[in-house]
Amino acid sequence: MKKTILSLTMVLAAGLLFAQKKTTTSAVVSFDATTSLDALPKAENKTVIASLDTKSGTIAFEAVIKSFTFSNPKIQEHFNSKGWMDSDQFATATFKGNINNLKEVKFNKDGTYAVEVTGDLTIHGVTKALDAKGTITVSGKSVKVNSDFSIKLEDFKVSGGAIAAGKVAKEPKITVAAEFQ
Amino acid sequence: MKGRYKKWLIALLVLLLAGAAVIWWLFNLKYEDTATVKADHTVNAMEFIKEFKQDMAAANKKYSEKIIVVNGTVSAIEMADTTANIKMIDTTNGAYIIFAFQQQHLNEAKAMKEGDQVSIKGSCSNGAFSSILEAEYITFKRCAVNQ
Repeated sequence: MKKTILSLTMVLAAGLLFAQKKTTTSAVVSFDATTSLDALPKAENKTVIASLDTKSGTIAFEAVIKSFTFSNPKIQEHFNSKGWMDSDQFATATFKGNINNLKEVKFNKDGTYAVEVTGDLTIHGVTKALDAKGTITVSGKSVKVNSDFSIKLEDFKVSGGAIAAGKVAKEPKITVAAEFQ
Repeated sequence: MKGRYKKWLIALLVLLLAGAAVIWWLFNLKYEDTATVKADHTVNAMEFIKEFKQDMAAANKKYSEKIIVVNGTVSAIEMADTTANIKMIDTTNGAYIIFAFQQQHLNEAKAMKEGDQVSIKGSCSNGAFSSILEAEYITFKRCAVNQ
């Protein structure tokens, strides 16, 4: 009996020590859809859930659309309205993908590693394949993931007069930053 | 005839100026400091989570985009380069509330410690179920300590 308990304890301890799936609930995703005509359409979401499996290379994000904060209340209202993101209907944006060059990342060695990620991005209820470049920075127990990429709003069926009028960029820049401890 | 033309011109000018003033006002709107905004609801953190777990759609309808004061215990503080988020977690099921603070109130979040009894006021974004964490969560933005 004692041996069984000891074995179980050791298995549990080993599992905790070598946990491969890291998560955070404070990843930051921002987007910049500003143009020369309008400097207001940009926002940041600081409560994004993210996970990184250091063994399989799976990486995932979940962002509540209404958590994107703008400086201007009217722009925020438009962003969440039915004509734009329709955040009552499509409450979250998600990404699930894999690091293509996982073998090049040494999670046990401090450094900054260039990575390529391929996966599925779902926004406004539409799922599209996405390839993005980024970096993984390992510093002790901390692992930081950063990436910048652009998306085409029309790919996700987001349209409106402001885009046609040049007040909102057709291809906003998305910035992702997640720190896993 | 000339006088009538002049009146139309003045009316058009007034309309243009009024339109420009409205556009200028809309472009320069800013969110107020949440600390000074009157709350729509005051809740206990664990009861609040329970309400979302019982009926997410109804709770979202009731609280989304409203200013809420949440009283509870700090379970975790998540600090990154530009953020300091406060979490209140229901340890029985992993569901949690997370508060992102307004820039001018960021230091209030940084000063908090795990176990502190706090009162936080913020704009409730939404409640959702996380497939990653397999738990419900409720996000808040533009938060400040409730004085």
